[in-house]
Amino acid sequence: MSTDDATTAANDRLADREDMIVCVDVDKFYGDFQALKGVTATIKEGEVAVICGPSGSGKSTWIRCINRLEVHQGGDIVVDGIELTNDLRNIEKIRSEVGMVFQQFNLFPHLTVLDNITLAPIWVRKKPRAEAEAMARALLERVGIPEQAEKFPGQLSGGQQQRVAIARSLAMEPRVMLFDEPTSALDPEMIKEVLDVMKELAMSGITMMVVTHEMGFAREVADRIMFMEGGEIVEVGTPEHFFTNPTEDRTKLFLSQIL
Amino acid sequence: MQDANQGSVDPEFQQGIEDRESSPHEIPSLPVGQWLRQNLFSSWVNSVLTLFGGFLAFFALRGVLNFVFSENRQWDAVRTNLRALMTLSYPESQYIRVWVSLGFVAGLAGLSAGLWANWGGVSVKRVSTWLMGTGGLLAVCVIVREPSVILGSDGKVVRTLEGSLQRESFLDAMVNRSSWWIAAVVLLVAGIVLWRRFASATHRGSELPVTSVVFLGLGLAVLSLWIAPYGHYAFISETKSYVAESGRTVAFSTKLPWTVMLALLCSFFGLGRLLQRSEYGGLIKGASNLLWLVSPLTLFWVVLRDPALDYGHVISTDLPMGLAFGALGGAVLWSLTRTGVGEAGRLVATMLLGFAIFNWVAAFFGWYPMLQKARISFLLLAFAALLAPNFMGEIAKRRQLVLGWLGVTALVHYLATMINTPSTVEVQSSEFLGGLGLTLFVALIVVLLSFPLGVLLALGRTSKFPIFRMLSTSYIEVIRGVPLISVLIFFSVMVPLFLPDGMELAELAAVLTGYTLFSAAYLAENVRGGLQSITKGQYEAADAIGLTAAQRTSFIVLPQALTVSIPQLVGQVISTFKETSLLAIIGLFDFLRVANSVIPAQSEFLGVKREGILLVAIIYFFFNFTISKYSQRLERRVGLGER
Amino acid sequence: MASSAPPSIHHERPPFYRDVTVVKWAVQVLALMLTIGALWFLAKQAGDNLRASNVPTDYNFLSVNPGIDLSSGIDTDPDTGGRALWVGMVNTLRMAIAGIFVATIVGVLVGLARLSNNWLLRKLGTVFVETLRNVPLLVQILFYGAIFASLDRVSMDVGPINGWFHLSNKGLSMPRVHIADGFYQWMIVIGIGLFAANFLRKRRIAEQDLSGEETYPILSAFGLIVVIGILGWFVHPIFGFVGNIFSSLSSAVSAIPEGAVQVLIAFLSVGLSVYWIRGFLKSRRTPAGLAKLTDDDYFRMIFAATGGVLGAVFFLVLWPGLSSWIINSGSDLFEVLSNKFGNGRSGRPIDVALPEVVQIGKFPNYGPSGLNFSIGFAAVFFGVVFYTSAFIAEIVRGGILAVPKGQTEAAAALGLRRSIALRRVIIPQAARVMLPPLGNQYLNLTKNTSLAIAVGYSDIVQVGQTVYNQTGKTLPVVSIWMFFYLSCSLSISVVVNFFNVRMRIVER
Repeated sequence: MSTDDATTAANDRLADREDMIVCVDVDKFYGDFQALKGVTATIKEGEVAVICGPSGSGKSTWIRCINRLEVHQGGDIVVDGIELTNDLRNIEKIRSEVGMVFQQFNLFPHLTVLDNITLAPIWVRKKPRAEAEAMARALLERVGIPEQAEKFPGQLSGGQQQRVAIARSLAMEPRVMLFDEPTSALDPEMIKEVLDVMKELAMSGITMMVVTHEMGFAREVADRIMFMEGGEIVEVGTPEHFFTNPTEDRTKLFLSQIL
Repeated sequence: MQDANQGSVDPEFQQGIEDRESSPHEIPSLPVGQWLRQNLFSSWVNSVLTLFGGFLAFFALRGVLNFVFSENRQWDAVRTNLRALMTLSYPESQYIRVWVSLGFVAGLAGLSAGLWANWGGVSVKRVSTWLMGTGGLLAVCVIVREPSVILGSDGKVVRTLEGSLQRESFLDAMVNRSSWWIAAVVLLVAGIVLWRRFASATHRGSELPVTSVVFLGLGLAVLSLWIAPYGHYAFISETKSYVAESGRTVAFSTKLPWTVMLALLCSFFGLGRLLQRSEYGGLIKGASNLLWLVSPLTLFWVVLRDPALDYGHVISTDLPMGLAFGALGGAVLWSLTRTGVGEAGRLVATMLLGFAIFNWVAAFFGWYPMLQKARISFLLLAFAALLAPNFMGEIAKRRQLVLGWLGVTALVHYLATMINTPSTVEVQSSEFLGGLGLTLFVALIVVLLSFPLGVLLALGRTSKFPIFRMLSTSYIEVIRGVPLISVLIFFSVMVPLFLPDGMELAELAAVLTGYTLFSAAYLAENVRGGLQSITKGQYEAADAIGLTAAQRTSFIVLPQALTVSIPQLVGQVISTFKETSLLAIIGLFDFLRVANSVIPAQSEFLGVKREGILLVAIIYFFFNFTISKYSQRLERRVGLGER
Repeated sequence: MASSAPPSIHHERPPFYRDVTVVKWAVQVLALMLTIGALWFLAKQAGDNLRASNVPTDYNFLSVNPGIDLSSGIDTDPDTGGRALWVGMVNTLRMAIAGIFVATIVGVLVGLARLSNNWLLRKLGTVFVETLRNVPLLVQILFYGAIFASLDRVSMDVGPINGWFHLSNKGLSMPRVHIADGFYQWMIVIGIGLFAANFLRKRRIAEQDLSGEETYPILSAFGLIVVIGILGWFVHPIFGFVGNIFSSLSSAVSAIPEGAVQVLIAFLSVGLSVYWIRGFLKSRRTPAGLAKLTDDDYFRMIFAATGGVLGAVFFLVLWPGLSSWIINSGSDLFEVLSNKFGNGRSGRPIDVALPEVVQIGKFPNYGPSGLNFSIGFAAVFFGVVFYTSAFIAEIVRGGILAVPKGQTEAAAALGLRRSIALRRVIIPQAARVMLPPLGNQYLNLTKNTSLAIAVGYSDIVQVGQTVYNQTGKTLPVVSIWMFFYLSCSLSISVVVNFFNVRMRIVER
């Protein structure tokens, strides 16, 4: 495969790292429609992988399979050495190690920002409330909105809501963060504030899988870019390779439409 | 009529109505003439409709007034039977219990009203229009009602030779109704004065606090008990009958308690206002909410029972048992919340639950004896143990759980002991609990009990587990497909047949069970509406942050679903309350039955039905109308209407 | 990707108590078994208790003379229990249908009045709605009953007013329009007329679409029905032969051997589950062939298969009487139909009789020739009509207010006249919102007619109560109630769903 060089380059930087997410031949069906066709990929610890592709290509389905919001029917998914099976305990473990940020934020509208963030640490991680709140305030500081702690999500702008959602995921101290089109539902002027937070996260060394159409972000931050179409990974490569010298025709077509 | 209909849904006007409903304070006030032209005579169709409506209103009003004030009405039947309508044959000597309970509710209501002090205001303009409207209506009523029949010196009606009634002349009638005239004029003048002083453009926004308006109204009502000659109806215990004296104010045993109620309401309102600002405000709010939850059962229990404790039994059995459950249960819970208990904790909890359920099954078949209290305690302990993982870790949280357990144990054991001892309240007959008291009792119990069941059914119906869905759906649909009366008859007749030998259930309990099961199905449908309004994203977010299914349901799904379905839930409460009237059909003595069967059977009021039923209708109307208006207000304030 | 070879994954099946699928289905099966067990236990208890008190739960009372008189209905002195219950059902349905009809009219009028731009009408509408919906229906019914009971007594010397109407404390008597011989044959003609009218309507609409000229499709269809109806008045006797067809059908049905029906039912039960499993497998198949079935899917199929086989065994072994019952009732049904169409029924299809006052026993009362509404009927009727119309008014008002303002503005911008905008834009959208709650109200009205028991109107519940008081067969009577009301609910929801589907706006 001609992507070998680029992959090797990325692998060099991350060569000595542990495998964080391993997917082998993952299949997913919706009735007659096959959304994932034998997706195979390995994400290293600390890697930032950006997944792009036309809509309906299976990007979201794939990352939703990784914390079992969708159940894959064929193949294997292993996260941090824990295989995702029917085992209740494994599902619990993976859910508490993998954070997820949604396109529609999905904040809990009846809870304040602070309660949104502290809910899981208190009830899943069994942390004392005071400790959880202190951490929540620190996280709000980190995403740049410390003054909004007592407000309700409905009183915040879209960008602020998405930053709260990121803080909520981080509060569980996850080893992996999944981002499902985090900026698609935002007005243009708010996209940057969210991307800035995500960049800062990427620098901090957390493993990230990001489904996005923000090519600028991908070019700047990603270790690898994966291009999906029709439920398959078509091309994988470093940003330089991907943007300057894509090998597959389908990738070229996609890039020509989006750039 | 066709033309008229089309005129009445004029699209342009529809917009006008929407505007009016969304912002009632924004309509500019018009001069009278212009207002009339715009609202009543804007076109010839409209004028015809006004004329038609006017005739309709005139005859309806006249009919109602003539009915209510007819010489054929025997309102004495209602007046002397007021006590029967409220509590049926509740013993006179124990009446203080009723008053104490009512006083407690009044105090609690005042306290809560004070704590949640932000009741908003009602604009001066609305008060003044209301005053003017009432005054005007009163004046119209005085004119519209037909002249009274002339009564002879013996108090009987005077008939002409042909046998028709003799009525006073119209002028005489107007003169004789001077007191009503004065009331109407006073109201009108008060309204106009308010309007002139405050409702001008500059003062349009000024508002009176709702609470003070309500208190003023209540105060005037209570004051009228001391002044207005409603009639004195004293119960003579020796003859077991009432002596009626018109022209006096009501009996002392009526006006004093109501005055105390009002005093309690007002003073606790003040107390609530004070406490609201103190640092314990939140705590007291929580406590008052808890009191609201436990008071219905407790108060009815206070009214119905006065246990004579057998202290020997208390010391030998009840007390040690309570202490044992408190201490041992507390120890179990304490150890279950240690960090690192893990799977073992769940196992212990499940085993406890199994044991507790087995106890109940054994009770059903009578395999071995056990005090009911112990069975209840084991079940509660099992539930607490299941909850324990949520309190794991921190000392403060573990302490919370154990203290909660001790509190619940104390309460349950206290209540169970009290309920199990014989009562000294004299029960005169089997229908000793009756009247409005029974109605309220049934309504409250059914609402309280059907709520958790309804929520469970709704969760089952929206569950992703097909068998749960199937079971809940078929239950809900079957129950909703049949009329309540058939369910009630089924339970009152059939339940004794379903029970094994030696187990009995009083008819009231059987009916309560049936009514609760019925009401739960409807409640489930209302909650389901709320559940369906919750987006998939909420579930996914809850899953993604690692909440368990139970945590997801109780922290994320239910709070939102229940908030959304508040209007429907209030509607359900109202219809539950309305349908308690069906108790009258299956042989329980609720106040409708008293009005419909008990009073007409009394020798002095043979066949006097309509007066009593009318009173019952008014009481139902008062309760339901108040609840629905309050809920609309709540809806607007919560902002549900804006979705 | 080739360079990073997929690492080998060590598969292990989780222990069953942690397996999501196993836990999920175990909990469900346990719940199902607990429910069935509890029901079985209760049924057994009830059976034991009933046997102990010597009240067997059978349906024999349906064919035994109950010795009761009914206050009103098609047969006030029924000769069997079944007949009595039938009279009750007819009374309930009569009340429900009449009530639904009138309540809808009143409700729509009041709802429109509440939206009117006339202040007085609006206020009157509000008072009507708020008063009636906040007072329990039973209280209203008892109140109306008490008022009617205080009307003047009926007496021999006070004849019907104008010979048409009579109102007294016995109720209301009106001319009765009733079915006579030949009605059913006439209905066949009307049926043909409906068919033809529908055809004509479609033709007319097609013509209008082609030419653009108004062709009055509905009006002409209506006219056709009237013409055919009048024609049928004279020609209906020729349909007498239908009776013979039904009687031969009846004997054909009774000739079917019981075993065949039994096997057929069992076969249906198994066949249904097989059909479901096949459909299920088909839905799981992907273009690439049979997809991997999850544990969940296996559980579902096992469940369906067990259900089918258990059903077959149940019908074959435990309930052999079902087949003979089906055969008997089928043949009876055709027998009844053949009697209705019997030959030689050449009278008028419909007749009219005027009210009369007769004195049979001690007191004068209305004779059977007029259409008599007892006090009970009137009280329940007014009760359910007013009560339900208050709710319908709110639904109508809410439905019209629910149409966005933009729709009326858009219609006006297109230059549509107000009446056309209402008919073509506003009302169709409002109706869509109104229909489901309206269906609910119709259902409520039907159930609420059961309150007739309080004023002694012989509806199904009141008759049923009388019957079980006489015979002690509570459980069978309750089961008949349930069956009856559930059928009513089902029919109403089928009708409402039909319109709902037709009116639904297609969304993606």
